Parts: sequence; C-alpha cells; structure tokens
Amino acid sequence: MVEGSRVMSAAPVVQASRGVRAGSLTRTALSTLGNTAIMLAVILVLWVGLLEVFDVSDFVGKGPLDVYEHLFLEEDAAAIRAEMWGLAAVTLRDAAIGFTAGMIAAVVIAVGIVMSRVVESAVMPLAMIVRSVPLVALAPLIILALGRGTAVVAAMGGIVVLFPALVTIVFGLRSVTPQIRDVVTVYGGSTWDILRKVAAPSALPAFFSAVRISVPGAFTGALLAQWLATGEGIGYAVVSAVSRSQNTRVWALVVVITLISLVLYMLAQLVENLVLQHYDMAKDA
Amino acid sequence: MKNPVHSRRLKLTTFSAIALLALTSCGGENSASAEDGEDASYGDINIALSWVENAEFAGEFFAQENGYYEEAGFETVEFIPGPGPIENMVASGEATFGTSNAVATGEVIAEEDAPLKIVGAKYQRNPFTILSLADEGNIASPSDLEGKTIGVQAGGNEALFEALLEVNDIDPESVEMVPVEYDPAPLLDGEVDGFFAYVINESITVELMGHEVTDLMLSENGLPFVAEALITSEQMIEEDPELIKSFLEAELQGWQDAVSDPEEAARLAVEEYGAHLDLEMDKELRQAEIQVDLVVTDEVRENGLLTISEDLQAESVDSLERAGVDVTAEELFDLSLLEELLEEKPELAEIPDGV
Repeated sequence: MVEGSRVMSAAPVVQASRGVRAGSLTRTALSTLGNTAIMLAVILVLWVGLLEVFDVSDFVGKGPLDVYEHLFLEEDAAAIRAEMWGLAAVTLRDAAIGFTAGMIAAVVIAVGIVMSRVVESAVMPLAMIVRSVPLVALAPLIILALGRGTAVVAAMGGIVVLFPALVTIVFGLRSVTPQIRDVVTVYGGSTWDILRKVAAPSALPAFFSAVRISVPGAFTGALLAQWLATGEGIGYAVVSAVSRSQNTRVWALVVVITLISLVLYMLAQLVENLVLQHYDMAKDA
Repeated sequence: MKNPVHSRRLKLTTFSAIALLALTSCGGENSASAEDGEDASYGDINIALSWVENAEFAGEFFAQENGYYEEAGFETVEFIPGPGPIENMVASGEATFGTSNAVATGEVIAEEDAPLKIVGAKYQRNPFTILSLADEGNIASPSDLEGKTIGVQAGGNEALFEALLEVNDIDPESVEMVPVEYDPAPLLDGEVDGFFAYVINESITVELMGHEVTDLMLSENGLPFVAEALITSEQMIEEDPELIKSFLEAELQGWQDAVSDPEEAARLAVEEYGAHLDLEMDKELRQAEIQVDLVVTDEVRENGLLTISEDLQAESVDSLERAGVDVTAEELFDLSLLEELLEEKPELAEIPDGV
C-alpha cells in the first residue's frame, strides 16, 4: 500500500516539484542518515524488548551486548569477523546475481506488457503463480532443473525480486497521460516511440522505487538459495548454526545480514532521491 | 499432537492445576513422597527425539505403552519428533530430556557453555555412516571421499562430517559437501555420491529398494562415540534428581522390552506412534533387530542398559578431541544418577533372557 501511494505521488512530483534545488543534496543525505539511525534504534528496542517480554531463555536469546562481545571482545573475535565477512561477501554476490536477474526480467517483461496485451495475459498469471507458491516448496523443482550453481541463485533471487518490481515498473510505464500519448501519436510516433520518449522517463520514479524495494527481496532470495541449494554464505551458516545450537553465532549472523541489507536499502533510497532531483533539475535547465 | 490448540490448552489447565496444588500443599507432602520415589508425581514432561517416531525409539514406545512412565510418576510424556536443535531445546527448558549423540552435545557444551549432561546412552556405538551405492559412489574408505559430492544435513550431522574429514586427514576442499534433507532421493537420483545417514535407517531403506549399498561407518573410521544419548539440563540434575532417576527407570524397563521383542517394537512404530508417518514394516523390523546389537554390548550385559563405561566415555571424549572439540568426560557425562538407580534396583540392570 505504502509503495503504491509512493509511486502514485511520484509521477506528479516529477512535474510539480520545480522548487527542489541543489542545496538539498546534503539535506537528502542527512535525512537518509537520520532514517537509518531511527531504524537502528527501533530494531534495538524491539530486539531487547521482545526477548524480555517473551522471557526467552538466556541460552537461546542473545542480546546486542552478547553479539558485540562475540564479534569484538572474544579472543578469536578477529577470526570470527573475518569469517563473517567472507560469508557476507558470498551472500552479497548472490543477492547481486538475483537482483540483476530479477530486475532485468522485470524491465523486459514490463516493456512487453505495456507494448502488448497478449504478453500481459500470458505472463501475469504465471508471475502470480510463481509468486504465490512459497519458494521453499518450489525449491526442489528448481534445484532438479538447474542444479546447485549460479543458475539456481539467479532463479530464486530473481523470483523474489521479479513480481513487486514488475508491478511497480508496469505502473510507472502506464502513468503516461492519454493526452501526451495522443501528442506523440498525432506527430506520427509509434507505440515504441511513446515508450521511449514518454513512458520510460516518466517511469523513472517507479523504477527506482522498484530498485529500493527489491534490495531486501534480493537478500531473501539469496538466503533461501544458500540454505536450500548451494550451502554457502550467511543463508546456510544461520541454518547450520541454529541446528548446532551455536546461538550467539546465529544472532551475530542475523545482525550482520540485517545491517548490510539496511545499509543497501538506504543507499538505494539515497540514489533514488538524488536521481529524481537530478531529473527535475535537468528539466528545469 | 493432532489438535495442538486443544493440547496446549490442556497443558495450561494441567499446569495451573499442578501449580495450585503445589501452592496449597506448600511442597511439604510433595517432597516427602518424592523421596520414596514410588508415588511421586512429576506431572508432564517431554522428550525431544533426535528423529521421527520410528523403531529407533522402541524403548520409549514400550515405556509409554506399558505404563512405565506412568508408574514412575509421570502424568504425560510427550514425544517431540526430530530432527531439531535438541541441545537448544533442553538447555532452554523447552524439553525436559532429549536424545542426541556425544559429539553433537559435546560441541555445544564446549562452544556455547551449554548447561547439559548426558545421563545415559542407548546406542553404545553410533550408527552414523556415509551411505553410497555400491555400483556408483562406492565409498568404502575415507580416502574414497576425495573428489566426491556428499549430501549432509545441516546441523549436528555437518559437525560429524567435518569431524570425519578431520580425523582422517582429508582436506575439506577436496570433498564437496552439499546441503540435503533426510530423504535419500538425491543419492538415488545421482545428485550426490554419498549421503550422511544412519546405518540402521536410510541404509536399510535404500537396500530394501533393491540397491546394493556401501557404508562408511563413522565408528570404524576414527569416530567411535555413544549415540541416542539421553541429555538433560544441569539445573534439572541439581533440582530434581529423583525425577531423572524415575525417568531412567521407565526408560530401562522400556528398553528391556524393546530388545527382547523387536517385532512388537516395529509394530509400535508402524501402527501406533509413527502411524502418521507411513513407515514400512520390513524396514522398521530390520532396524529394531539390528539396533539390539548397538544397545546390548558385552559391557552393557555386565553393567546394565543405558550405562556408559569409563572406557566408552573416554572414547567419546577422544573422538571429540580428534575433531577439535575440547571437552572432558566430567563436563559431558553424569552417570551418577543411573548408577545410584541401578544400585537401588539391581533388577533394572538385567538383560532379558535370550537377548
């Protein structure tokens, strides 16, 4: 819902917000930082608070201080951190693969859908099905078909990323007003011209929204692929640590992946804001 | 089990009832009756099983079926099917007892300072194996593992597999370990060359499907240790040793039945406790028969079921050490309660005739 209303308001913003000026770059960066700080605070409060409220045993439920100790104060903390970075790097790589696969597919399919109703009626139901069957249940099929290599990472990450990105981008491409569409047609432009000259630029806000909401999705996909298929990275390390009762490690891994995901989400938001501002300024000039 | 909401509500009711009783009686009578051990009431307990309800837990099924748990003072004993993080469940108090193996528990004690102890063990030799098809992977010695793809389930089994490589000086880089679940299908599909398994479970299943299998037993390749070990928390040992002794008494009686009647053991698994699992009678019967050799060894004949001789304790600790886990026998085992019980009731140490 929130994403939808953002997208809807984004298009008018492109045309209306001529008041945005260069000095706001710093303001955007600062507000992003502020948001990050608020989010971190909320996470910390929830973390400590929920452990307390549900009276989770100390042996299983570790707090922020336990994780800090595990990562920074213990004798072998340096080795643990190095290992975590290694795992995180693999997960980042896999998330990037899934993200790229999903976004490329989303853009290609979105263009297809906007250009042709046939594509829409052929692809949308399939996308819905893939989206509504839990990935965990689809996993054995995907593994049988694609093996346990990069292909399966791309497929599983791609599936998580594809659907929300697709819907958002299609919405953006369709946000062209009939009047503008008519203008291009009157001057002899084709559907392709409408897409290229009008729809694509006005879909930019939607595209960057899609990028932003796809970042956490890409991590979900990567973690699932690692857990169920490849046995690498943080996705597998968490599952393995849970069943080996390595509880502090579990919490530390979750903290690492949460922080990485959060930082990238904020980066995507920053880029989104900056690009949209730049786009406005370009129009001004 | 079938109606979790109902059973949870029931549990809550029972719990409040017990709490009320405990409050009104001020604990005086309770502790008095607990001392003579016979008509004490310990209320509800649960056991986190290392695996689904199959013949592996024959002794527990007999103890339930023949009322040994009840006689020992337990109102209900719930079996929580595995696999799962047994050590976590027991250490956090979610489960009263758990069945695990010396290496998995030893690792958690060493690495997480888990307040846990092994108080008895059913399998004197662990049944872990790297299962392969004789005409495919045919992994008969540790060196055969090199260059192969092995399916290993996340968690305790992974720790054991790493230990197997470690004690046999095999470079982990030379073996590809892939995550699998517990269904040996990836082995039959040819997706993996070897599959981490129980020699008395998946090996039999695959064999009964008409394949010739090769087993690389962990116990014969540098990793002998006890398995199906009964674990409980140190807090439990300190606060309620009588409960543990009563539980062990029921377990001993159950396992006396289980080793003397594998057929009934298999029936209980297939038709009663594991009825929802669609188990194969042939397989369960074979498992129930073969596991008798794991449960009843020469030392057990001398000392009683569930006992773990000092040699065996040392062997488990050595295996752990070779796998890079530093834990002492004192940290891992506490057999004092079992020994006390067997001294008080020597008839529990007897192995049924003909076994």
